[in-house]
Amino acid sequence: MIRVFAYLAWRSTANRVARQIRQLRSPRYLAALALGIGYLYIVAVEQRPREAPAVGARWIELLGSLGVVGAILWGWIFGVERRVLAFTPAEVTFLFSGPVTRRGLVQYKLLRNQLLILFNALLWTLILARERFGTSPWLRAISIWVLLTTISFHRLGASFVRTSLLEHGRIGLRHRVVSLVLLGAALIALAWGLRDALPSIAAGWSAGVGTFLDALTEAAAEPVPHLLLTPFRAMVRPLTAHSPAEWARAMGPALLLLLLHYVWVIRADTAFEEAAAETSLRRAEQRALRGAAAPPALTHRSVPRFLRLAPVGWPGGAILWKNLLGVVRLRRTRDAVVAFVVASIAAGLLSFDPNGSLAHAAGWFTATWAGLTIVIGPQWVRNDLRSDLLKLDLLRSYPLRGRSVVAAEAAASTLVVTALQLGLVLVAYLAFLGNTRMEPDLQTRSVVLLAAVVCLPGVNYLGMLIQNAAALLFPAWVHLGAGRPSGVEALGQNMLMIVAYLALLAAALAVPAALAGGLYVTLEPGIGGWAALPALVVLQVGVAAEAVVMIRWLGAVFERIDPANAGFAV
Amino acid sequence: MIEVESLEKLYGDFPAVRGLSFRVQPGEVLGLVGPNGAGKSTTIRSIAGIIIPTRGRISIGEHDLATDAVAAKSLLAFIPDEPHLFDYLTVEEHLRFVGRLYQVADVDSRIPELLEEMELASKRSALPGELSRGMKQKLAIACGLLHHPRALLLDEPLTGLDPVGIRRMKATITRRAESGAAVILSSHLLHLVEEICTRVLVMRGGCAVAFGTIADIVASRPALAGRRLEDVFLALIDPTGAGPE
Repeated sequence: MIRVFAYLAWRSTANRVARQIRQLRSPRYLAALALGIGYLYIVAVEQRPREAPAVGARWIELLGSLGVVGAILWGWIFGVERRVLAFTPAEVTFLFSGPVTRRGLVQYKLLRNQLLILFNALLWTLILARERFGTSPWLRAISIWVLLTTISFHRLGASFVRTSLLEHGRIGLRHRVVSLVLLGAALIALAWGLRDALPSIAAGWSAGVGTFLDALTEAAAEPVPHLLLTPFRAMVRPLTAHSPAEWARAMGPALLLLLLHYVWVIRADTAFEEAAAETSLRRAEQRALRGAAAPPALTHRSVPRFLRLAPVGWPGGAILWKNLLGVVRLRRTRDAVVAFVVASIAAGLLSFDPNGSLAHAAGWFTATWAGLTIVIGPQWVRNDLRSDLLKLDLLRSYPLRGRSVVAAEAAASTLVVTALQLGLVLVAYLAFLGNTRMEPDLQTRSVVLLAAVVCLPGVNYLGMLIQNAAALLFPAWVHLGAGRPSGVEALGQNMLMIVAYLALLAAALAVPAALAGGLYVTLEPGIGGWAALPALVVLQVGVAAEAVVMIRWLGAVFERIDPANAGFAV
Repeated sequence: MIEVESLEKLYGDFPAVRGLSFRVQPGEVLGLVGPNGAGKSTTIRSIAGIIIPTRGRISIGEHDLATDAVAAKSLLAFIPDEPHLFDYLTVEEHLRFVGRLYQVADVDSRIPELLEEMELASKRSALPGELSRGMKQKLAIACGLLHHPRALLLDEPLTGLDPVGIRRMKATITRRAESGAAVILSSHLLHLVEEICTRVLVMRGGCAVAFGTIADIVASRPALAGRRLEDVFLALIDPTGAGPE
């Protein structure tokens, strides 16, 4: 059976790559490839440090193992079933109804995940500097492959266990009591072990990165944390080896862990685990047959009053309304709104606590996330052409100009990301509200909050237009649909995409920002801080002008796109 | 109402449609028939403005699809064989969405009428995931009919419908034509074409091989006189010209 799976995986991939290569006959795709290769060259060769970096291998191993802990915990806490057990409708039709065992299906899934892992292992091999990681590129590639595969196996196994618990409730809990008790004991032991180290870690954070990492290293060297981190360190260690002999020694434990994970995932011998795996696969089957674009969990059908659609008005408003409704209906949106309200109230109240350390930590945490969402938000929120292009037939039959479609699609995801960012900024603002000693002071923080309200929509809109431009210009290369490759397995490619996106966004913002900055510098000696007002206006006008130009251009691209030659199935 | 002149569509070097010209007047129902790969769907999708023709001209009403696409599209409705619906809009919301796109001011009164006509009144708040294949098709049809289109393009419209739905659909198409809409219908169901189409366009290899009423087509080929429609069709699409035994 494995030969059949290998044939299916290989031929599907080969045909897909061939189809994408055929797109190179178009000068647009050829130019994009040349730019991509140049970009990778700069990342992999030109930007590589020529001398040994300051960050030592000890820190890298520790940070790497903590990263692995994070990735694995994420899978356990939030669940990654949807991702690791994603089957296409065709796979469900042929494999689920065919004479294929449950173990066979899991093997096939592992095989398919390997394609993504191998591609990302290649990217990481190029990205990670030779001077810092390993001896030869080949050994580095093998180390990365082993690490990513082990994490992938673990997340698949975790999804089975989660399903078992969710599906069987208390009975499932009884079956898992030993492993859950062990996990709980490990976490309690870790908290106890780190108890004494927390003040020095917190002090290290204030003193700088180096001090913080040293404090973290010391804490991790304590007996309990050291013991708990041992398997995670073993997974990362081959990557930090500096000689073939060292690499070979480190590879033994890493391979052993990989083997154990494989056995765990593939040998579900007990009837209970078998049933859990069956349930996971059955859910995957239902998801696939519902359609790849089906949203994860829809809730409450009633529409908020402000989202009622008037029968006449700007026709593009219908697209905007449809896309917003898709987000509002998601259960996680409702959860997020509730969480923001609770967090805002709690942060505001806690900020007046004289000690105030909790509010302080929460403030920095949310402020950091608000900043991060500028970078990763446009990748997460995809309720625009990246989802709707799969319904190109429908969009093209509507009596709408291309520019209306583009403007409305980008606006929908912009509103969602902006709401998320402003929610985070507001929580951060409230968390520092009662802090009278903090620098910058409350007045400055209020100005920053106001500036965020004014600037973020425009910046996000430009960002979303860039994301939608990629989908419209390179539909054969950009992942279309509700989901996208994600998780640790796809981290490499996503990181490269984010860097490229940021470079384009920075280029788009350069002129408006320069004009606004110039105006501020000119006016500030005369009118002081008030110079920020005309500067903000100039920034907004510049961003709006660029957005209009982009919308007109992308609208024309949308009207010219031919579903038959676009390179994706409509 | 619908005018197609010298339509040609190439996929790479492959001609999907070649030199196709025809007109459909208001009140007329044109049946597009032909074997798989004859170019029926490409033709209908070109008229809907989805596919860009390589050559030729298409106009809906007085509006050229290439230069005045929005005005042309606002007069037509395209109902594909596979209903494309949005997972997170309810049945009613689909209609409101389409109403806004086509600026249907009386959408509030049109929705109950259409839901009743399509037997979807009880599914008003259902999401597409909760509908059967036939119900989804009915919803797609309702969306197409909401704005009283003057040109109706249907690609295999009976796919997935139950016998009652088929009868209603046939009645709906006839009624729309009687009220002045120009209808183009692509189907493999020859009895449907024979029953409701006023004229037939038979396609093979991207070209028209016969065009007219069924009586005219048979009359122009004396060898087919007295044969059933199925035999006539098979004879027309047979590349050797031998026809059925």
